[in-house]
Amino acid sequence: MTGLWRQAWEIARKDLRTEFRTGEVLLITVPFGAAALMLIPLAIGVDAPLLERVGPGMYWSVVLLFGVLVTVRQSAADGPAQMDVLTLLGLDPAARFAGRAGASALLLLVFEAVLAPLALALYGSDPRGWWWVLAVLPLVAVGLGLLGTLAAAIAAGVASTTLVPLIVVPLSVPMLLAASQVTEGIRVGATIFGWLLLLVVMDLLLAVAGVLSARPLQEAAR
Amino acid sequence: MRRKVWLDAAAGALLVATLAAALAVPPERTMGDLARLMFVHVPAAWLAYLAFGVTLVGSAGYLATRRMKWDRLAAGSAEVGVCFNGLTIALGMIWGKSTWGVWWTWDARLVLTAIMFFVYLGYLGLRRGIADPVARARRSAWLGVLGAVQIPIVHFSVVWWRGLHQPPSVIRPGGVQMDDEFRIALAVAVLAFTAVYAALLRRHMENARAEEALAARLASEEVEVAGAAITAPRYGEVD
Repeated sequence: MTGLWRQAWEIARKDLRTEFRTGEVLLITVPFGAAALMLIPLAIGVDAPLLERVGPGMYWSVVLLFGVLVTVRQSAADGPAQMDVLTLLGLDPAARFAGRAGASALLLLVFEAVLAPLALALYGSDPRGWWWVLAVLPLVAVGLGLLGTLAAAIAAGVASTTLVPLIVVPLSVPMLLAASQVTEGIRVGATIFGWLLLLVVMDLLLAVAGVLSARPLQEAAR
Repeated sequence: MRRKVWLDAAAGALLVATLAAALAVPPERTMGDLARLMFVHVPAAWLAYLAFGVTLVGSAGYLATRRMKWDRLAAGSAEVGVCFNGLTIALGMIWGKSTWGVWWTWDARLVLTAIMFFVYLGYLGLRRGIADPVARARRSAWLGVLGAVQIPIVHFSVVWWRGLHQPPSVIRPGGVQMDDEFRIALAVAVLAFTAVYAALLRRHMENARAEEALAARLASEEVEVAGAAITAPRYGEVD
């Protein structure tokens, strides 16, 4: 394992260990997302065919909106003192970005995986089509993890809990569109390759942007 | 100073010419007088693209050179662009109510234009939150580059997703699709709005430069000579 990947792995392990100790994602954000999935039918009316139709879209909206909380939480964990220690240890900023985004992506994947069967049960959507969604889950988790980490680096220390969602949500619309269209495409029998490609391209672009901007953004935050 | 006044005067004169041209064209065959709204809606949309494109150029310029003039360009252009983007949405809603019967519809162009508006509101929000000019410039430059991805998506959304919004009539494959009278009036309107944009951007950049100079002067005045540990002796304290 090269130095950069080793550092990234250590950062990811640190973030995941923090999550394991506090359980903020699994014990707080997941139930919060589940509550949102339950509130939507109450707001739009308990109409089974309608809920079956809108279920996948609602699921992806909840993943997007509540997934931002996961990435914000990760970034809020590091105060200026921790950042200084990591810098003094000679940590590569790109490794920090990669490790943090990786940990966020893994937590988001868990978040998606827990909510998916719940959405299936609540909205009564046809589970046959949802098998294909298994390919989309990691792509969305990685994309959202990368975008959230990048936005958190841009807005570090500047009202992060409110500003990061404002940056992430509009920019993640292509991901929401692609994920929803894959589910809809499966339902109506349309091709989904283009949407999957969009997710892959977006993940790659965000990864490149995140790695390139890591050092200048870290310097700007000090 | 004279050049600035000339730019403002030219923008004002072109706006008057736009008003005259917009009133001179005959009512459109199907939409009637409502089509005159296009002489504000289309230039405003064009200027939003232009302004956010200039924000991209300014952001990339700052990242490449680290010179503050690029940051001022990016910030000023984003602020003017947000105003024109908001104007585009507002006028589009008025148009939608008159032609489609609703203030808002879930058309790809409308939604993506609104999303572009929020992206640049986030950009301005980020700038307001950072006091240090260098940190502000560095961080917002990355967002200025990242946010520009939206511009081509918004423009070509009417081609990629078939919705209620009409396809582009000017920047489109196959050339301009418009009567000569409308085309000339629209060209004058676009020119006028571009001049207004240039005038506003220039003023904004001047203000930003003046603010930076004032902040630097205040900061230099606040610094105590030899630090706070040493104070000048007061009258009567020295034997």
